[in-house]
Amino acid sequence: MTTIPHQYPAPKTPRTPPVVQVRDLTKTFANGSVTALDQVDFEVPRGQLLVLIGLSGSGKSTLLRHLNGLHHPTSGDVEVLGTDVVTAQRRELRALRRRVGFVFQQFGLVGRLSCLENVLSGSLGRLGAPRYGVLTYGKALRREALGHLERVGLDDRAFQRADTLSGGQQQRVAIARTLMQSPELLLADEPVASLDPESSAQVMEVLARICVEDRLTVICSLHQVELALGWAHRIIGLRDGAMVLDQDAHDLDNAEVMRVYQRVQPGSGAAPVPAAQTAPVRVPAMGA
Amino acid sequence: MAVVEAPSPEAAPKPPAPDSHIRPPWTSQRVLLTALVAVGAIATVWGWNRIGLSLATFTEGWDDMGRLLDRMLPPRYTTVGRWVGLAVETFFMALMGTTIATALSFPLAFLAARNTTVNPFAYRASRAVITMARAIPDLIFAIIFVSAVGIGPLAGVLALGLHSIGMIAKLFADAIEEINEVPRDAVLSTGATRIQSLSTAVLPQVMPSFTSVALYRLDINVRVSVVLGIVGAGGIGFELQAALRSLVYDRGLAIVTVIMVMVVLVEWLSAVMRRSLLGADSAAVSFGQPRRRGALASLRRHRIAEPELAAAVPLPTGGPDAVTEDDGPAPEFDHRALTPPWTADRVRRFGYGALVLVGIAASFVSVDVSPLELLTSLPDAWRASSALFPPDFSTAFDGIVEGMVETVAIGIVATCFGTILSIPVGLLAARNVSPNRMTYLVARGFLVFVRSVPELILAVLFVAALGLGPVPGVIALTIGAVGFMAKLVADAIEQVDAGPREAVLSTGATRLQETFTSVIPQAMPSLISSTLYLLDINIRTSTILGIVGGGGIGFLLQNSTRVRAFETTGAIILSIFLVVLVIEQLSGWVRKQLI
Repeated sequence: MTTIPHQYPAPKTPRTPPVVQVRDLTKTFANGSVTALDQVDFEVPRGQLLVLIGLSGSGKSTLLRHLNGLHHPTSGDVEVLGTDVVTAQRRELRALRRRVGFVFQQFGLVGRLSCLENVLSGSLGRLGAPRYGVLTYGKALRREALGHLERVGLDDRAFQRADTLSGGQQQRVAIARTLMQSPELLLADEPVASLDPESSAQVMEVLARICVEDRLTVICSLHQVELALGWAHRIIGLRDGAMVLDQDAHDLDNAEVMRVYQRVQPGSGAAPVPAAQTAPVRVPAMGA
Repeated sequence: MAVVEAPSPEAAPKPPAPDSHIRPPWTSQRVLLTALVAVGAIATVWGWNRIGLSLATFTEGWDDMGRLLDRMLPPRYTTVGRWVGLAVETFFMALMGTTIATALSFPLAFLAARNTTVNPFAYRASRAVITMARAIPDLIFAIIFVSAVGIGPLAGVLALGLHSIGMIAKLFADAIEEINEVPRDAVLSTGATRIQSLSTAVLPQVMPSFTSVALYRLDINVRVSVVLGIVGAGGIGFELQAALRSLVYDRGLAIVTVIMVMVVLVEWLSAVMRRSLLGADSAAVSFGQPRRRGALASLRRHRIAEPELAAAVPLPTGGPDAVTEDDGPAPEFDHRALTPPWTADRVRRFGYGALVLVGIAASFVSVDVSPLELLTSLPDAWRASSALFPPDFSTAFDGIVEGMVETVAIGIVATCFGTILSIPVGLLAARNVSPNRMTYLVARGFLVFVRSVPELILAVLFVAALGLGPVPGVIALTIGAVGFMAKLVADAIEQVDAGPREAVLSTGATRLQETFTSVIPQAMPSLISSTLYLLDINIRTSTILGIVGGGGIGFLLQNSTRVRAFETTGAIILSIFLVVLVIEQLSGWVRKQLI
């Protein structure tokens, strides 16, 4: 047992380059008529749990999909783990995705396969050849996968079919699958949106624990302000594709965050300063 | 109207509703349905006259059938051992053909599914191959291959293998298009390649339907491979044809019974396999472990309540659910835990898998076809197919038109009578409508019996009794249609909701009224859809009836290959292809409009 940090383990001043660097990212759909992302600009240091909040359609998912190259920006730069996502070739992108875990709202498990095999599929990126059936993965891989399942508390379900699990359990299996990639960055697109409060808390707990224990960078989009305040190191708020909030979770209270959800901004004085539009990126307060 | 005119004292007499209010409106659906019935009726009358059917044909035919039965009974089992051997060979032919078709369908289906294809061209090309394979009847493939590689099972296996692609690959592709895409995105975003995402996220999702389709096709192919024997593709069909040709009818009947036993056995086996494999799939497999609610859960609740404490990432500090942070060597896991447990379900899957593999291996050994021969025969098959080009319509134009018209007439008449007859039979064979258990069992038994004899074999028997011509063809096709359709009717009726039936019965309606008011309307959509499907099948089958002398274009087809006028054969195949395609598109369109 290592000692458990009871205090917020805020990332040290980054000596290493940031894990994610987004510069003036703009994305328009439908020939420019819809702006999904509007000059989004931030960077994320290693080991941070960053939560994106905002209304549906505010650009959270689009932003996450730019980070592993599922979307291509209209303008701006995206650099993730030292890879320029915008200019990367197919092969480079695949190499990047191998290092970036992605957790989906709908879990993305193959329901008929056992939990263990679903977790094992996270190792496909390093294997290269197609696999079918648990036994086509080596014993060492299976041992590793079982370890990850144990970490999310589901090793006793290894050979149960994934579709027999509850939603929260399925999401934890999906997280175990990304652990199989030994990710350096974990992206989670509303991982708890279809879960009940208790399962949501369990999933968030697993994410936060991995973040701390492995010094893994996690970027997670959420709807629930309470969960965001409860688990994030830092919160970025998006409205209509623009950043309207970027602060250390410590310095925020519920009312401030809720403002992100207001469709019409109250008088400019009362509104949180849209950080990205004027000032350079606000690095969260260190060592609070 | 006048009788009802006694106005009640309190209410002023309402004027009777105008007629337009008490007649159902002419919706486009109703117009189409009425038109369909009208066209069907006219077409049937036309077909009836075209074929030259009359009630006298049936009364006279009845006597002829009696005489034939006289000569057939009792069946004489002279060389049962030999026949069983031939039946097994026939089954192996079907198994091989299905195996080849399944193997070819695999890549084809992935190319022909919109969500897994590589580019639009590959999609269109593979869809075209599939449509073509389906539109050319298997017997025609067999005739081409017999002329290419000679008489014997190889021609049959090739014919089955190619024609079955039309159904297997189409249903495979449909299954692929219906998958849930999220797992695939998830696997791709781990950095997996396209191929890996197919094998890990797509294949497991479609495996149950693949298995079910392949087994279903095996059922069909067993019947077909009996028939293929008639055109020289070996097996028990060949033996039957020989017996009937030499007018040894009692032996013929004995062979027919052997065929029936084989067909029923295979159908039973594949039904058992399908049910057991798919049943295991739909039932959630649970090992009955209690849901784990450890320290995590309780800690989390606490966390939510006090968001200001969130900065501290709490970790369970002990207890069974504690997360061990071990920097040393990986903890030892029970070896058994790394391999799936041998649950009953897994044992069953392995058992059936092994059975199928052994069967396939046995089929390659026992049928005299080596995998190498399959490859080396391809150039011959290619040569035979290219001999069909360019199709020559000029030599036998009138004959082709005449034959096609007769073919369509046979198909329509058989569909009409088959449908009409199959409704009462289907009602009797539906568990929830049949008057009693005995009737139900007899009706179901009758259906199994009828379905176990392929239409072409029936046609052979009727031709023997009634002589050459379209009449025995129509009768054989109608009986086959009843076997096919009545089962669909019965299955559809068994799915009917019981609620409305009780409601209608509780108004004091008779059972027959209740059947017409609550059962048939509920089953109507599937009845219409089955009828249109039946028309498809019947037109296709009636193109080949002529091969055994049952009327239609098949006779001309058989003749043209006999005299090696392959370009005329090509013209005939092309016209069959077109007619089948048009009918299929038409019935597909109607089905889409109505349902």
